Amino acid sequence: MQRAYLLLIPALLLLLALPVSRGRYNDDFDDGEDLADFDDNDFAEFEDMNDDPAAEAETAPPPRASPSSQPEEDEDEDEATVELEDGLDGFEDSETQDQDMYSKYDQEEFEGIGDMEKTGHSMKDPLIIHTVSQVPAHLQNSWESYYMEILMVTGLLAYIMNYIIGKNKNSRLAQAWFNSHRELLESNFALVGDDGTSKEAVSTGKLNQENEHIYNLWCSGRLCCEGMLIQLKFVKRQDLLNVLARMMRPACDQVQIKVTLNEEDMDTFVFALGTKKVMARHQKELQDLSEFCGDKPKSGAKYGLPDSLAILSEMGEVTDGMMDNKMVHYITNHAEKIESIHFSDQFSGPKVMQEEGQPLKLPDTKKTLLFTFIVPGMGNTSPKDMDALLPLMNMVIYSIDKVKKLRLNREGKLKADRNRARVEENFLKQTHAQRQEAAQTRREEKKRAEKERIMNEEDPERQRRLEEASQRREQKKIEKKQMKMKQIKVKAM
Amino acid sequence: MSISRMCPKTKACKIFLYKPPSTESNPTLEDPTPDYMNLLGMIFSMCGLMLKLKWCAWIAVYCSFISFANSRSSEDTKQMMSSPAPRSSPIGWG
Repeated sequence: MQRAYLLLIPALLLLLALPVSRGRYNDDFDDGEDLADFDDNDFAEFEDMNDDPAAEAETAPPPRASPSSQPEEDEDEDEATVELEDGLDGFEDSETQDQDMYSKYDQEEFEGIGDMEKTGHSMKDPLIIHTVSQVPAHLQNSWESYYMEILMVTGLLAYIMNYIIGKNKNSRLAQAWFNSHRELLESNFALVGDDGTSKEAVSTGKLNQENEHIYNLWCSGRLCCEGMLIQLKFVKRQDLLNVLARMMRPACDQVQIKVTLNEEDMDTFVFALGTKKVMARHQKELQDLSEFCGDKPKSGAKYGLPDSLAILSEMGEVTDGMMDNKMVHYITNHAEKIESIHFSDQFSGPKVMQEEGQPLKLPDTKKTLLFTFIVPGMGNTSPKDMDALLPLMNMVIYSIDKVKKLRLNREGKLKADRNRARVEENFLKQTHAQRQEAAQTRREEKKRAEKERIMNEEDPERQRRLEEASQRREQKKIEKKQMKMKQIKVKAM
Repeated sequence: MSISRMCPKTKACKIFLYKPPSTESNPTLEDPTPDYMNLLGMIFSMCGLMLKLKWCAWIAVYCSFISFANSRSSEDTKQMMSSPAPRSSPIGWG
């Protein structure tokens, strides 16, 4: 709420800025009147125009074809302001005077005078009177000229209102989820809630707010697992742009659970289950699924699963072991809430793309169970919907125990070990050239450093001795290499 | 860091403290929206100031609001509040 209040400050600053920009227009009008006073006296007879209180500017531009004999009049048009009144009488006299004046001039000498006569009453007299509606918008002093600013400020206020409402809704949803799951978590884990700042294992008992739409919870202290990180990833209800985008493309709130296991808690296998689209995407993006589960996602109909779900598995034995009755029961009953389930002993995240091609060593792996659940409601979630996720948390706890108990038989173990060796070999082959290059550069660096050391040595005697020592070392290396080549040749024969 | 304790299931177990995941290891997981919006806001406010275009200034203010709404809470609130204030100045001048 404090942040919401702070947002109002710039909005207020904007509203204050409006009167500042308004004041300038009055000055323009004042200048016009002053200038008219000191003007050339072709128009002295129009002195009474300065007494008029409401000044209006001329809008009709003088005809562009008008000759250079009318430059003074053009200047006056821009500066002087006149009001529509009975003062036309004064003008009529001047008109007749002007007409006489023009008739004196030779038509050949001056261009456009004939045109001037033709265009009628309004064009002959440059100090012409116009109605209020023809005055340009930026010179008017009314609310209509600020419609753009009013619109923008209204938009900003709407954004701020949406921010406050969205933030509160997300907060309520997170709290509702935690309230419904708290009991289950506290009965299974010794530590529920840790923000990473304290050095002691004391449960904070509340969610960590990472964002206005992401909440974390860390649980630890259970047999069979190191810890469990739960992330509530809500849609960005606090961002109006996102709200509008969701009207075109609906998105849903997600709950992501990541359970990290100890080394002895899981056998070596990779298994994934989820919606077909997500499985296809994961198979391309995730390192372990792309390496160990090369086959296309299979349907789970054999085990009684709905058709919307697909399975990726390293070997059939793993699928058979995982899909026992209870698991199938959980999945079938809550199929619409499951986006993906991923068990892996080789989990290292998505594939890493580096500029130099492949990374030089295999990424670190961790035995992990990943669950991604969809909150029902498709974005229009209410706090009551959070209770529907409780059975899924039960499934998570059950999966942890199941994975601990699941052990591959001898055949399965051999196959798994062979797979892992194969993957490592492939990786080493691909990076062989790069590793050689890296080793070469390291050797050159060493030599250069040594040479520098010798050069920097001030005592000539010591320098000589160091040089001799390095020469001897190089000689030894060359001899060693030659020995090796000989041995290889002998073996080949 | 692990600490031994009696677990709820009455067997001794280890407790691991929470380690916030480092963003360097997973740059793809971070949402880039607040950074892009910040950059856009700065560009538009410069354009609005230099070229005296009021609509640029308004877009800059909107960008800074969007960046604020999408920002991570780890960033300093004062720093975030300092961005819409100067961006609203071209609107006053324009």
